[in-house]
Amino acid sequence: MATIDIDAPGTSQLFIGNEAIARGALEAGIGFAASYPGTPSSEIMGSLAPIAKKMGIYAEWSINEKVAMEAAAGASFAGIRALASMKQNGVNVVSDFLANLVIAGIGKGGLVLISCDDPSAISSSNEQDTRPIAKWLDIPLVEPGTFQEAKDMTKWLFDLAEKTGTLCMLRSVTRIAHARGNVKLGELPKKEQKAYFDQIHDLRNVMPTTFMPVPSALRHAFLHLKLDKAQEKFESSPFNYYVGPDKADLLIITCGSCWLYSQDAVKALKLEDKVGILKLGTLWPLPEKFVEKHLNKSRKILFVEEIDPFLERSVMEMVANLPADSPRPTFYGKRSKHINAYGELNPDLVIKAIASITSITYQPRDVEYGKKAEEFSKSSVPERSMTFCAGCPHRATFWAIKNALKLDGRDGIVTGDIGCYSLALGPAGFFQVRTMHCMGAGAGIANGLGKLGQFGFNQPVLAVCGDSTFFHATIPALINGIYNQSNFILVILDNNATAMTGFQPHPGTGMTAMGEPTKVVSMEALCRSLGARVEICDPFDLESTTATLLEMMAEGGGAKVAIMRRECELVRGKKEKPPYKVHVDPDKCIGEACGCDRLCTRVFLCPGLVWDKKVGKSKIDEVICTGCGVCTDICPQGAIIKEAA
Amino acid sequence: MDTKVKGCKELLNEVIDKDLCTLCGACTGGCPYLVPYKGKIVLLDNCTLSEGQCYKYCPRTYTDMDAISQQVFGVPYSEDELGTTKEVLIARSTDAQIKEKAQYGGTVTTLLSLALAEGLIDNAILTRTSEDKTPIAFLAQSAEEVLQGAGSNYMACPILETYNHFLKDSNHSLGIVAMPCQALALTKMKKEPPENRISINNVKLVIGLFCTWALSPDGFYQFLRENLDLPRVTKFDIPPPPANRFDAYTPSGKISFPLEQIRKFTIPTCAYCLDMTSEFADISVGSVEGIEGWNTVIIRTDVGAKLMEMAKAKGKLETDKLPPQNLAHLKEAALLKKKRALKEIIKRSGDKKNLLYVGLSPALADKLLA
Ligand SMILES: Cc1cc2nc3c(=O)[nH]c(=O)nc-3n(C[C@H](O)[C@H](O)[C@H](O)COP(=O)(O)OP(=O)(O)OC[C@H]3O[C@@H](n4cnc5c(N)ncnc54)[C@H](O)[C@@H]3O)c2cc1C
Ligand code: SF4
Ligand code: SF4
Repeated sequence: MATIDIDAPGTSQLFIGNEAIARGALEAGIGFAASYPGTPSSEIMGSLAPIAKKMGIYAEWSINEKVAMEAAAGASFAGIRALASMKQNGVNVVSDFLANLVIAGIGKGGLVLISCDDPSAISSSNEQDTRPIAKWLDIPLVEPGTFQEAKDMTKWLFDLAEKTGTLCMLRSVTRIAHARGNVKLGELPKKEQKAYFDQIHDLRNVMPTTFMPVPSALRHAFLHLKLDKAQEKFESSPFNYYVGPDKADLLIITCGSCWLYSQDAVKALKLEDKVGILKLGTLWPLPEKFVEKHLNKSRKILFVEEIDPFLERSVMEMVANLPADSPRPTFYGKRSKHINAYGELNPDLVIKAIASITSITYQPRDVEYGKKAEEFSKSSVPERSMTFCAGCPHRATFWAIKNALKLDGRDGIVTGDIGCYSLALGPAGFFQVRTMHCMGAGAGIANGLGKLGQFGFNQPVLAVCGDSTFFHATIPALINGIYNQSNFILVILDNNATAMTGFQPHPGTGMTAMGEPTKVVSMEALCRSLGARVEICDPFDLESTTATLLEMMAEGGGAKVAIMRRECELVRGKKEKPPYKVHVDPDKCIGEACGCDRLCTRVFLCPGLVWDKKVGKSKIDEVICTGCGVCTDICPQGAIIKEAA
Repeated sequence: MDTKVKGCKELLNEVIDKDLCTLCGACTGGCPYLVPYKGKIVLLDNCTLSEGQCYKYCPRTYTDMDAISQQVFGVPYSEDELGTTKEVLIARSTDAQIKEKAQYGGTVTTLLSLALAEGLIDNAILTRTSEDKTPIAFLAQSAEEVLQGAGSNYMACPILETYNHFLKDSNHSLGIVAMPCQALALTKMKKEPPENRISINNVKLVIGLFCTWALSPDGFYQFLRENLDLPRVTKFDIPPPPANRFDAYTPSGKISFPLEQIRKFTIPTCAYCLDMTSEFADISVGSVEGIEGWNTVIIRTDVGAKLMEMAKAKGKLETDKLPPQNLAHLKEAALLKKKRALKEIIKRSGDKKNLLYVGLSPALADKLLA
C-alpha cells in the first residue's frame, strides 16, 4: 500500500481510489475517521489508521456502520472534520441515523460519508446503488470519475459540508476504489485542532438542548435551503464538464467509472467528432442549469451509468419541467434497454449501445480472437471452484454441522450471515447454509423459526455468524432469542479477525485500528451474562464439536450459543509454521473403491488435497496444504497421515 | 426376490427406511457415509457407487441360505429347527466372579476369556452397558475387559461397525459375540470376503446369542428413562418363559414390567427374522428354561467344539445334558419364530413366492409354511 501521508505537494503518486479518498480527507484536515470494514471500501480506513497517530488524527474500526457514522457526527458537533466510510450495505445500516442527522444538521466540523458500491456484487450480497439513498434523504452527492477526482472531491466535500451545514456524501464503485492511477498531491494542513462542543453558540445545526426545539417540519424546510445552496455550488463545479463537438449526433451523460468506459468507447469507434460526453461529478442535487445548457448538443441522449437509472431519471424529471416549447430529445439508456439494468458496465457494452443507436456496425475484432483469448487464459489458470482456504476452520465447522444435522435427523436448518462462511451456501460448506441476507439476519431469522413449535415445527435451527458479525448486528437478535425463548443455537465462527475484508481487528481481538492494545470484549462472557448457555468448541476436533452440537440440539429450549474458536488460517499462517506435515499413504488410500468413494477430494474438498486420476489415489498438494491435519480425521482408511512438523 | 447387489441409496430405500434394519452395523464402520446413531443408520453424504458392500452384507438384503450354509458348514441350509448342530448341552462357568456378573451361566464370558488366554484370538468384539445404560460395542483384550461386557443389554447394538473399523492391513485375530442377524451378516462376508478392511479370515470365533427380538435403542431407551432411575440399575433381564417379564435390578430391589408393555419397543425387523439360535455362529448360547444359572449351548462348528473341549478340560466350564423336554421346547420356540417370520414376510411382500431377503429352497419354504 502507498503511504498516503507523503508530504510532497505537486508530485504525483500511484494510488488506488480508496487511498486517493483517504489522502483527500487528510488534505482536508480531518481529525476523525470511523469505518466498518466492507469490500470495496476497506482500504480507506486501511490506509488512514496506520498513519493516524503520526498525523495527529483519530481513526477507528467501529463495530458497525451506524456507530461509525454517529461517532463521526459527534466529532463534527465538536468542530472536528470527520469522515465515515463504508460499503453500500452499510449505508442502509446508517440510514435511520442519516434521516435524522440531515434534519438536525451537522456541527462546525465538516462531515462526509463515503459509500463504496459494488456493481455486479463481486464481493457483496447485493449490488445496491446508494445514489438513490442520497436523493431520498436529501444529501448532496458527488461521484469521482478519476483517481485525481477521488482525492480532490473528498477534500472539497468537507468545505461544502461546512458551507451548507449538512452532511455530504461521496459515492465510489469497485473499479475506482480498487484500481490504481496517478494522483497529484496537494498540501497537508499543519494547524492544530481543538475540539469543543459549544452548546450555546453552535446551535445553528445541532439539535438545540436549551432552547425550544425547532419543529422537524421546519427543519426539513431548512434542509431544502441547504440543498439549494449545494446545487448552486454544483452549477459551477469543475467536476462537471463536457467533451465533444458543439453539435453532436449523440450526447452521452455519464458519471463515475462509466466516464472512463464512455471515453474508451467513443475513441474505439473513432466518433470523437460525432459523439459528445457530458461528465457529471456532482450528481445530487442535479446541476440543472449546467445540464440544460448541454442538452441541446444533440437530439439523442444516452445515459451510461451502472446499476440504477439515477442520472437518467433525474434528467428526465428535469426535462419534464422545461417550458413546453423546449426541445425534446430522445432518451436512451436502461429504460430503452440499450444499457444493462444490472451488473457492471465496460467499454464493450457502451460500444454496443452507441453502435445500435447510431446504426453503425462495429466489429471489435475477429470473433475467433475472443474465443482464443478465453481458451488461452483458461489454460494458464487452474480450474478451482469458490472454496474455503486450505486449513480454514470454517470447513471443519461446516463438516461438523453437516454431520450433526444428519445424525440428529430432524432436517435441521442453518441460517447464514455475511462473511467468508457465506460460501457454505455452496459445496465449500457442503451446502449447509440456507439463507443469506444482511449482517445479523441469520440470527434474526432463526428467532422466527425457533418460535414455531406451536405449529408443529421440529427442525433444529442453527444460525451461523462470524465474530465480527456477532458484534456488528447479532447481539440484539441473540437477546431477543433469550428474552422470547426462541429455540435456536447461535454458532459464532470465531476466527479472531474480520477475515473476509482483510483481517481488521474487532472488539474481540484486543487491538484497535491504530494498532494499540485494548480491552478484549469476551463474547462468551457477554453471552453468558445474557443468560445463554455457551459452549466453546475447537472445530478441528470434529468429533467433539459434532457431539456438542448434537447434544445442544437435543436439549432444545431457548437460544444458546456455540462458539467455534480457531484462528483464521491466513492469520495463523503468517505467525507460525504449519503444525503438521501431511501426506497420503498410497498403499492405504483406496480412492474410488467401496469404503471411501473419494471422500476427501469429492466431498471434503480442501484444496490441499488433489485427486491423481492416473494412479487413482489422492495426494497432498504440498504448496497449498497448510498442515492443519483435519483431513486425517475424515479419511476412513487412515491413509492421510500427519506428523508433527 | 431381487438378488442384485446395489448401492447405499437402495439400502436406504429398501431396508433402512422400510424399518427392516436390524442395526447389526455391517454397513457401517468401513464406510464414511453410513453411520449408526441412536438406533438408526444415517447416510451422511452421497456415495456414488452403484454396488456397495453395505448392501451386499446387510442381513436384510437377499441371502442365499444354502450358499452361506455351504460356506461355513459344508452342507446346504439345515431343515432342523436349530440349524446345523454338533451338540446341544447346558453349561455354566466355574468362575465365581463371572457367575456373579454374567447374565445366566456366564458361558459367553468364559469362552471369550479362554479364547483370548489361549491366543485363539487377540481381540474380542463385544457389547457392554455404558454409564447411561445404552449398549456400546467395545474391544476386549483380556479376561478383565471381557468381564466388563458380562450381562445382557436388550437394546440392539451395531457391533459390526467395530469389526469394520479394522483397516485392511490389520493382522489381529478376532472373536465376536453376535446376535443372529449379526452372525448372518458375518457369514455373508465369509461367503464373499469384503475388500478394504480386515480380512474376514481373521475372524476366528463367532459366539452367537439366542434372540427372540431386540429392543429399540431409541424408543425403548426413552421408556427406560421415563420409568426408571437409570443410574441405579445394575442389571436387565428377560427371564425365560413362562416368566413373561422384563426385570431391572437396582440395589433396592427388582422392578418388573410385563412383557406386553415392552414388546411395542422391539425393532420392527425382528418380526421378519427366522433365526432364534444364531444358526451361523461357531457356538450359540442362551438361557435354560427352569434351570437358573445355566446356559443352553449349541456347538455348531469344529472351532466351537474345540473351544468347548478346552473349556471343559481346563475346568473353566462345567457342563451337563440338556433335558429332553427342554430341547423339545427350544425346538418348538425356534420353529415358531421361523413360521411367524415367514408369515410376516409374505404379508409384506404380498406374494407367497417372494420371501424378500430370505433365499430358501422352495421345498424348505413350503415345509415351514405348511
Ligand atoms: C437382545 C437380546 C435378546 C436375547 N434374547 C434371548 C432369548 O430370547 N432367549 C434366550 O435364551 N437368550 C436370549 N438372549 C441371550 C441371553 O440374554 C444371554 O446373553 C445369553 O444366554 C448368554 O448368557 P451368559 O450368562 O453366557 O452371558 P454373559 O457371560 O453375561 O455374556 C453376555 C454377552 O452378551 C453380550 N451382549 C450383551 N448385550 C448385547 C447386545 N445388545 N448385543 C450383542 N451382544 C450383547 C455381552 O457383550 C456379553 O459378552 C438375548 C440376548 C440379547 C442381547
Ligand atoms: S479419504 Fe482417504 S482413502 Fe479416501 S481418497 Fe482420500 S486419502 Fe484416499
Ligand atoms: S441390517 Fe445391518 S447392514 Fe442392514 S441396514 Fe441395518 S445395520 Fe446396515
